[in-house]
Amino acid sequence: MNELEQNRVADLLKQTLAPVNPDPGRDLWPKMLRRLHERAPSQHWFAVLFSPTALSAVPWFDWALLVALVAGICAFPKAIPIWLYHF
Amino acid sequence: MNTHPYLRAYMAGIAVPTMLLLVALTGFLVARYTFQIPIPIERAIIFPMALVPNIFGLWNIFYLWLRPRRHLPIGFHGAILPFILAPTGFTLATCSGFLAATSGGLVWFHQIVVPYAFLAAGFCFALIAYYLVWKYLVGFFNEVLGIA
Repeated sequence: MNELEQNRVADLLKQTLAPVNPDPGRDLWPKMLRRLHERAPSQHWFAVLFSPTALSAVPWFDWALLVALVAGICAFPKAIPIWLYHF
Repeated sequence: MNTHPYLRAYMAGIAVPTMLLLVALTGFLVARYTFQIPIPIERAIIFPMALVPNIFGLWNIFYLWLRPRRHLPIGFHGAILPFILAPTGFTLATCSGFLAATSGGLVWFHQIVVPYAFLAAGFCFALIAYYLVWKYLVGFFNEVLGIA
């Protein structure tokens, strides 16, 4: 393709495609800020961790394991210092 | 842009044991000064203060590194950790002089006797605890730091 043909293709493309306005018609920054605020967590992480939604997502066997663990600790309270040492 | 995922994994890993360290220290103080259990706090605190958080952080880095290669759920990944931590803790406790192996069982802090028959049960409880902690707490911090 020589230079003349390249210019011809460029002219055709310019005629076919709609001109792009380099300046947006409105200020996009407020919309960007709004999106950033929407993404940011509105709750404290501790509240999220123990929220009803998070707790209801825990399967029953994990609750059973937790109950077994607490029961084990209550049955052998003398072992608590050993637990503390290993954590 | 380098988002330092391994650094974030380390931070997410150490968060839980660092918080629990305060509980451990309080528990040791209560055990020593209220219940008169002769715990050598200055020696006993070395393992939960210096080693456990770092091992948690490194284990979480390992989890992140391992994920694209051989994915294991984070709860099970955490449940493997007692296999490393328990022998390390026992060795350090023995060297520090507050754990002794006798014919009747392990004697912790010169006072708490754990019969050998209970060791397996105790280890199973440790597996459960680590499974739950890693699945729900470390997993949560991984999510918060964007590496879940």
